[in-house]
Amino acid sequence: MPATADRRPLIGIVGSGIAGLRAADAILKCEVDARIVVFGDEAHRTYNRPGLTKKRYPLSGALEKTIAEDVRVKGADNDAVTWRLGIRVETADLGDRILRLSTGETFEYDRLVIASGIRPRTSARGDGECELHTHRTLRGLGDARYIHHRLQAGEKVTIVGAGFVACELASLAKEYGCEVLVLEALRRGPFESVLGERVAMTLGRWLAQQGVTFLTGDSARKFLCEAKPSNPEPASDRSLFIEAIGSVPNVEWLHGNGLDLSDGVRVDEYMRVSPWENVFAAGDIARYPDPWAAGNLTRMEFWKNAIDTGDLAGRSVAASLGHGSVTSRIGYFPSMTTEVLGLRIQIAGDPKTSDSMEIVCGDLDRPDQGVLVAYLREGAMIGAAYLDKGARFNSAYIKLLRSLRER
Amino acid sequence: MKIVVDRVKCQNHGQCAISAPTNFELDADGKLQYQEAFDEENISDIEDAVDACPLQAIQLKS
Repeated sequence: MPATADRRPLIGIVGSGIAGLRAADAILKCEVDARIVVFGDEAHRTYNRPGLTKKRYPLSGALEKTIAEDVRVKGADNDAVTWRLGIRVETADLGDRILRLSTGETFEYDRLVIASGIRPRTSARGDGECELHTHRTLRGLGDARYIHHRLQAGEKVTIVGAGFVACELASLAKEYGCEVLVLEALRRGPFESVLGERVAMTLGRWLAQQGVTFLTGDSARKFLCEAKPSNPEPASDRSLFIEAIGSVPNVEWLHGNGLDLSDGVRVDEYMRVSPWENVFAAGDIARYPDPWAAGNLTRMEFWKNAIDTGDLAGRSVAASLGHGSVTSRIGYFPSMTTEVLGLRIQIAGDPKTSDSMEIVCGDLDRPDQGVLVAYLREGAMIGAAYLDKGARFNSAYIKLLRSLRER
Repeated sequence: MKIVVDRVKCQNHGQCAISAPTNFELDADGKLQYQEAFDEENISDIEDAVDACPLQAIQLKS
């Protein structure tokens, strides 16, 4: 950055995703007289990442542009904000308040918001090639363009994992008319770590009923890379092989600053990164005190979490510059939804930490007819899930959430 | 200000009905029904509904 006579504080936001955007918006809304620079390693402005797997796109030579325009999120359109896209922040010196950029430049900040997010985990090394597969993952627009393009050809696709990205990809591939194989070696069904074994097995059966080949345990394992190439069964056909097996927080650029980076960036309930008074974090990368389980820290990878933590980080930045006061701590009510082969799956609260579950209405053998599940910890409801093809029990679900919210 | 839902984008996930049940609900067929006008006192719920939509189909327009 060239030296200028501009005396306004300079705020650096690392990450151009929704958390970074909402932090910038919150700072602007507090009428802070500051300059904001948003760094993003993708070439695109902020977009709706969950939207990348939500629907089919027509064949087109400009597929990436079509998707980008469709999922574009507006915001932070203000002269005070500079977008520096296609640039990586390589290292940070939080003591000297300096970022080193992939362009060779340095950037000196007065406040820093860490919103560099996560990247998909992969079992591949280096170039993504192994003896059996060419490994692909989905995170950015470029990945989405590639995957949609391949799926449009209606070819065979193998998806590893049974979380949200994996299930939405399986759904999308089926809509494109592909033959779909889903491999989950560790669990018995989709979303097991969140919704438990019984619901996971229901969802596994649902995938199979809708024509997806869903394999678990050893049946799945023999198609994975750990299968020896001498094993004649899995042909090395190099068809589309996508891993959706979790994530890795993008924290490497923060090394050397004495931060707790064991699982993302640890923050307090105002998104402040101790001991640095001028550093904040938000979004998928922020690990904060769990409002749902006292004494625990949590890190969430949901759209709404990125919005709420981004907004709070922005307000905390503004407060640190003497604008407004941050009175609300993180009070996030987790609520998310996905659709897997026509089955709507809604989840709220914190079912992950439950010790038992109760079917409120419906039958797990007929999820398409609606099933409402309550999750309990020490007898008290802490989460809920609702599976349905329509909205038969929607009002009952909303009623359940109201009592969950007011607990 | 009034609520406008892009019916092409909307896939009836119903997250808005969780955030702001006074203005949004899913009917018996699972289709979103909503009221365009809202009370100013409900603005934070309405904004929460706008944010919560997984398809980003809800806008506030003046």
